[in-house]
Amino acid sequence: MGKIKIGIYELTGCAGDALLILDCESQLLDIFQAADIEAFLMAKSDNSHGPVDVALVEGSVTTEEEKEELLAIRDRAEIVIAIGNCACEGGIQAALTASENWSKEFRQVYQDLKLTNVKPIPSQPIDAFIKVDYYLPGCPIGQEQFLTTFTRLLAGHPPELYRFPVCMECKWRENDCLLNKNLACLGPLTKGGCGAVCPSHNLPCIGCWGPAEEANRSAEFKLLLEKGFDLESIKRRMAIYAGTTIVDFFNQLKKEKS
Amino acid sequence: MKKTISIDHLARIEGNGSLIATIDGQVVTEVKFLINEGPRLIERLAVGKTPEEDVSLAPRICAICTLSHKNAVIRAMENALEIKVPPKITLLRELMHLGEFIESHSLHLYYLALPDYVGFPNAIAMASRFPFEVKIALEMKQFGNHIMKVLSGRFIHGENPVIGGFGRYPTKEELMFIKARAIQFMPFVHKTTELFCSLPYPDIPEEETIFACCEPGNGQYGLWGDEILVSTGEKIYRDDYPKLTNEFLVPHSTAKRSRYQGRTYTVGAQARINLLGERLKGEAEKMFRRFYNDRWKRNPLFQNPAQAIEIMYCFERIPEVIDEIFKYPQDPGIVSYTIKNGKGTGLVEAPRGLLIHHYEIKDGRITYADIITPTAQNADEIERYCLLAAQKLLEQGKEELIKDRLELIVRAFDPCVSCSAHLVEVRKIEENDWPKKLEQIRATNPIIIGLGSLGHGDDEAGLLVVTHLKRNGYVEAYWEEEVIDDETFWTKAEDHPIIFVDVLNFGAEAGKVTLIPLNHLLWNTSLTHRLMPTLLAWLTPEMIKKSYFLGIQPASLKANHLSSPVFEAIKKIVNGLKK
Repeated sequence: MGKIKIGIYELTGCAGDALLILDCESQLLDIFQAADIEAFLMAKSDNSHGPVDVALVEGSVTTEEEKEELLAIRDRAEIVIAIGNCACEGGIQAALTASENWSKEFRQVYQDLKLTNVKPIPSQPIDAFIKVDYYLPGCPIGQEQFLTTFTRLLAGHPPELYRFPVCMECKWRENDCLLNKNLACLGPLTKGGCGAVCPSHNLPCIGCWGPAEEANRSAEFKLLLEKGFDLESIKRRMAIYAGTTIVDFFNQLKKEKS
Repeated sequence: MKKTISIDHLARIEGNGSLIATIDGQVVTEVKFLINEGPRLIERLAVGKTPEEDVSLAPRICAICTLSHKNAVIRAMENALEIKVPPKITLLRELMHLGEFIESHSLHLYYLALPDYVGFPNAIAMASRFPFEVKIALEMKQFGNHIMKVLSGRFIHGENPVIGGFGRYPTKEELMFIKARAIQFMPFVHKTTELFCSLPYPDIPEEETIFACCEPGNGQYGLWGDEILVSTGEKIYRDDYPKLTNEFLVPHSTAKRSRYQGRTYTVGAQARINLLGERLKGEAEKMFRRFYNDRWKRNPLFQNPAQAIEIMYCFERIPEVIDEIFKYPQDPGIVSYTIKNGKGTGLVEAPRGLLIHHYEIKDGRITYADIITPTAQNADEIERYCLLAAQKLLEQGKEELIKDRLELIVRAFDPCVSCSAHLVEVRKIEENDWPKKLEQIRATNPIIIGLGSLGHGDDEAGLLVVTHLKRNGYVEAYWEEEVIDDETFWTKAEDHPIIFVDVLNFGAEAGKVTLIPLNHLLWNTSLTHRLMPTLLAWLTPEMIKKSYFLGIQPASLKANHLSSPVFEAIKKIVNGLKK
């Protein structure tokens, strides 16, 4: 059996997840030796468009061209992993998709300019167009979770992803709860894996890893309200990094209230 | 013969960009740097957010310069809210910025740029022959990352720096480690600077340009300031930044473009070294005195050695900064502030150049955001230098070098395309399609101005075109002498595209015609451009952008009579222009 073939692709985003892979300095040479890196535009110029075992896709889909590229990646990859908040949730740029005012906002920036190089569309996470096998959340992704996932894939095992909110990591680190200090921390509502980095720096979680899947969000919201936090500001702050996925939840919340 | 050289998906740059160069016979008629990143509308996302939310949001524009964006947005907000921070906070922000410079410059020089100069497709392949260099690069980059992580909380998008200070202050041990490590690195830093200052940088393209960077003040070298320093001598206060940038849109890019007084300009390490290099001290100064010469002003490939000298500056500056930090043992926490209405601009030097953030705040919410990134400012300059290089190589019969050279140029600017926005296409026109292009321009009611002089053979061609047009009832056709001193004419002309018609030696057969966007001609020193400065003085940057030069290849400028191929060309042009 040959080495596993990996492709790392970038759609629209800040390239932070690809950069974070480059930032694995101590492991980088090992990564390039253990697997055949077929495509990694940021790191090399001899990129192939052949079949791969694993495609890591960063960024959200914001142009017709990217949609085509994504469909082609899905066709030639056994496993597709969404890496980072943009690929998983649609990214900060998806907040306008959800607001339904995208065309208006687009004109605010580009006026009536007809772009000739790309056809822009409202930002969407990659699973709006293809089946995604695994999600590595984060803004950017965590090195630890990436390396664990990478080694499991090398060994032919499915990755084991974290399924807990930021609060869990705060408990492990024995941090004081910031909610008790009257700081509007989004930790209870946010996917863990970052190491509770903001609360560990005495700063409230901003929710950049996206909404935790298994959190009882309605109950959390009630708790936050009881503690006297402002609902609108919590919702606005959650919406920044929650992309398109949060819209349904907000609708559900509205129903529960009425 | 029209041909294109294209580099799709420029590799080893950050983000998705491409470059297309179009060649018509012996003239490069067009170079386009395409930024294909999807539009993210970040400036619109900022609207409606609180200043604190935006300080987290805005750096997500780019992972490479995340801390430059962080410092720029914080500076803008603190200016808008009139917050003053104690010196320890400013010093720690500088340390964080130095970390990003080391990380970004070492990534760019070793991973992205060096493989071109030693003939490898990527740094990992290069490791087999240059194991030492690749190892240094990794360690240096790791050190930069380490500083960023200690100060900002994580490698990318760290949230520790906030308006008014830091969430957590680094411990004395953490700072001591950074200082000791910076000193340990010096032998490697010397090697890096020498290596990149002595690479054989090709002499195409070379042409003087305008540079712009932050004025750090106090006669110091530095990475931010409240004024912009331009190589023309002008100083621009932070809130007046549109005087430098004058942003505009182009249809082939999701990133906006900038021009200073109608001219393209360079930002980045090359701009800083040219404008501030005399202020360097210590080893960086020695390196500057040893390697700096006039070519550094003209050749964009010198962005590379300029970055190398800056790496040295950063490594020397780190111990100084840390010693100063130690003078303030007390951690100032987060300075308390009140939210009020206001406007603020934050200027910093990102590793790839001047970065501007501007915000307006009303009732605790952002009502307007304007962010101008270095790559957006360099984009037009990249096109200009690529055009120059392609034209020069074409003239020297080295067409096969064009594609690689253009990639080298683009990469030297260290463009960070995700900021705004992969690499090079060279197109050669197979069949000259100027009549078709002329027809399209014709539809926009252009003004035709004929240039030339009588009695010098083919040199009267431009004037004859106008004479024939006038006879055919074309109203907006003028000889140069009719309009040269006529202010009313030029005011009226502002809304129209202008086509200048003249003979042009572009190395083709006599009578061949080419239609070139005027700004490309102005960038192109090797073509005998004969547009008089007095004429050009009337043109605004807007007018230059939409105007064209219709050139006819002359047979001779000395003969007494017009040559027959040029006469045929005149007939074709007149037929194409009259209704």
